[in-house]
Amino acid sequence: MSQFSRDGVEYSLALSLDEAHVLINLVEQLLELLGEGDFQHHYDMNDPFAQLMAMQQEVAAPEDPVLKRLLPNAYADPEAADDFRRYTELALRRNKQDGLRSIRAALTVLVDNESAGIIEELDAHLWLKAINDLRLALSVRLEINADSFQVFENMPDEDPQKGIYAVYFWLGWLQESLLELLTQ
Amino acid sequence: MADTLTEGEVSIEQLFDRPWVCIVWDDPVNLMSYVTFVLMKIFGFTQEIAHEKMMQVHVEGRAVVATGSREEMEHHVQALHEHGLWATLQRDDKI
Repeated sequence: MSQFSRDGVEYSLALSLDEAHVLINLVEQLLELLGEGDFQHHYDMNDPFAQLMAMQQEVAAPEDPVLKRLLPNAYADPEAADDFRRYTELALRRNKQDGLRSIRAALTVLVDNESAGIIEELDAHLWLKAINDLRLALSVRLEINADSFQVFENMPDEDPQKGIYAVYFWLGWLQESLLELLTQ
Repeated sequence: MADTLTEGEVSIEQLFDRPWVCIVWDDPVNLMSYVTFVLMKIFGFTQEIAHEKMMQVHVEGRAVVATGSREEMEHHVQALHEHGLWATLQRDDKI
């Protein structure tokens, strides 16, 4: 039943409770992988001292293949890539975390009410990016390639991966439907 | 004239003037419509140009989407990474 709707500049998303559960689980898993990094109660990241401290760390390319895909190298040259990462990775991580946290907050309302519902006045650009990040993360785990849809279709129902593939393709469909509304 | 270059040679000035390029690479996950949308949003391309660049990425495996200073290209790469596109920057290969 998942469906995005648009009324002028207002966007909304109708979700079943099951869909809300699936989404919030994925969002929380990805947030965990990205590291919550939610230090707002302790200090302000815009504070120059905090930024200086964060910059002192040597930041190497992440080991986890999902993080490698979400926080990729900007240069082919490893030294230039690491240097760029040292100054920018924190901001990129936070950008993705902020998006995911925002959609988690909206999904939490549905999950806490234990009912299907409509998420009103959502930020379409933010949802578009967050859904894309979820798809990228799943694609790395599923090793998605150009033939994956056929693989999925031929998969027996008892295959434990079939459900995860189904979620991946559902998210693609959801993203496409939001894009259609955005470009109307 | 000692500083005259023969054909095929490159002067130091040309080497240093070589601009930087921002490249988007193909991947099997990002939707074609999404890549087009992101290119329009970040670079202000028309639908037609963005679609052309997206197809180049899809067919040739990569496309140069911007050319300019290193700083500008780093900024673009960061924006593309925020949107989940696979992008890098480098010196322009072509002289």
